[in-house]
Amino acid sequence: MIVWEIFKMAVGALRVNKLRTSLTLLGIIIGVSSVITIISALEGLSQSIRAELNQLGPTTFIVTRFGLIRGHDAFMEALKRKPMKYEYLSDIEKGCKDCEKVAARSYIMGEVKFGNRKLKRVLIGGGTANIFDIVDLQLGQGRLHTLEEDQSRRRVAFVGATIAEELFPGLDPIGQTMKINNIRYEIIGMAKKKGATMGEDQDKFVFVPYSSFVRDFTDPHMDLDIFVKASSVERLPEAMDEVRVILRSVRHVPFEKEDDFGILTADAIMAAINDVTKYIRLGLIGISSIALIVGGIIIMNIMMVSVTERTREIGIRKSVGARQRNILLQFLFESLVLSLTGGIIGITIGVVLGDVLINLIKMQMTPSLFAIAIGLIISTGVGLFFGIYPAMKAARMQPVKALSFE
Amino acid sequence: MPLIETREIWKTYEMGATVVHALRGVSLSINKGDYVAIMGPSGSGKSTLMNLIGCLDTPSSGEYYFKDKQVSHMTDDELAVIRNREIGFVFQTFNLMPRATALHNVELPLIYNGTPRLNREQKARKALNIVDLGDRMLHRPNELSGGQRQRVAIARALVNEPSLILADEPTGNLDSKTGLEIMQLFSRLHKEGNTIIIVTHEREVATYADRVLHILDGMVDRDEVITVAEKSANGTNL
Repeated sequence: MIVWEIFKMAVGALRVNKLRTSLTLLGIIIGVSSVITIISALEGLSQSIRAELNQLGPTTFIVTRFGLIRGHDAFMEALKRKPMKYEYLSDIEKGCKDCEKVAARSYIMGEVKFGNRKLKRVLIGGGTANIFDIVDLQLGQGRLHTLEEDQSRRRVAFVGATIAEELFPGLDPIGQTMKINNIRYEIIGMAKKKGATMGEDQDKFVFVPYSSFVRDFTDPHMDLDIFVKASSVERLPEAMDEVRVILRSVRHVPFEKEDDFGILTADAIMAAINDVTKYIRLGLIGISSIALIVGGIIIMNIMMVSVTERTREIGIRKSVGARQRNILLQFLFESLVLSLTGGIIGITIGVVLGDVLINLIKMQMTPSLFAIAIGLIISTGVGLFFGIYPAMKAARMQPVKALSFE
Repeated sequence: MPLIETREIWKTYEMGATVVHALRGVSLSINKGDYVAIMGPSGSGKSTLMNLIGCLDTPSSGEYYFKDKQVSHMTDDELAVIRNREIGFVFQTFNLMPRATALHNVELPLIYNGTPRLNREQKARKALNIVDLGDRMLHRPNELSGGQRQRVAIARALVNEPSLILADEPTGNLDSKTGLEIMQLFSRLHKEGNTIIIVTHEREVATYADRVLHILDGMVDRDEVITVAEKSANGTNL
């Protein structure tokens, strides 16, 4: 195999010039690892947001007062909207034939106490009992509240892992009574630890029956989010349409006006996040690519020097019958071996650094195959792009001139 | 049928405004089994002629036939195939790969025509044995003397069993004793049936050949036959 022999020549030449080879490698490693760090961190971010959103099933959508707000003006306009009301739940249940479950959820910030221990800035959530059939709250121990407990406004609470750890160190929190905004609640269940999203602790919450929440912490006009589960994935669009028609009617939205509420699915939220962060992501990748281009230029520069230095070698090879493509391949292999070796090292460093970055904002990720594939494609591309010109220069040398080169 | 035949070949170089005619209509023919010296002072065009005969370059005009094939208009890659299969070069400066062993240097032409590894090594060993370097196969050029290096180059020229061995001042970088050994080797290779062309500016070297083409100002000035008597007188009748 001529190609294999030529490959061996290329590797041989790289081994001879160890210092030069390692400096070139360093250039490409820095380039590839910076790009891969950014790509895999972004990928990790996207993974965690996706995992978060997956708590909503594929058949679920959320109806909110604000919807997805883009920009300050839209926000100011949305502030004038009427809150979502609890009565809408029964309107939807009655009117929407493709809706299987309709639940309500609302939040305020507050504080919790147990003995002399106190936690501030805790998310206090209230939800109807069927919310648990729609949103996976990931029960760890104990139980969730029941329909009866909601109807009879019982003071029972389901708590996040942070609450259990901070308020009840060394104690089993279930069965204990704590104070939520100074009102005594009995703990009936505890959630699995979720970690953080974007530096936000996802375990610092308590969750109580909706009717208790309204009575103890807020008022009946409190804005709420309505969670709707459609009867099937196929019927999801119809369910969303029906809910939209019902809400426009009960909220008296005039015919020519736009909806004064928003309907969201996990996909829509993801798409919105991707859309908003698009330029940031492109910018980050763009900036990190500069290092990669510099790495490529280093390869090109080294290959140019190498071709000139080895003019006589090229002449000898041509005089004994090397064709243009043989010489081309030899030098192209050199730049490819350089860029791929650097690429593989760079990908490894990049994936590790990306993971560290993601951990810094307290999220988890699985190594991104996407980032690895991109890294391999990029480094092959860099090797080919920046290697082709020097290799062509070598291949097209005239044997007579090359042989007489001093 | 001659092995090589040139008809009115010209080679012109343009160096800025000035035009240099390195060859001005050279016509010659060399047969298989010939031993020819191309002789001339420096600047006569003999190196240009050798480059053309060796298919390292193409003429500006005129025709060049190698084994009846018109070479003058071939592409780079077609010429590379001819150089690989038909021509073995021996250069004044040896032109070996400095980091490769003698064996590997000799294998190089075989690599480019796709000879399988075992076969390649076998042929290279055989060629090195012909030039009496059987015991130096794994030495690198810097571990060999000048004469030994030139013999590695000759082995490399022989390894493909080419139709023509083309030597450009092969003794130019060697002392006279080593030069003599190399010329004796060429004479032996000629007796074994090889066609050899030697380019030189030294009369003593040229008289090893049977025929001397004198080149002057880019033209064949004289086509001289070296008689046995003259060879005997010079001690080149080997």
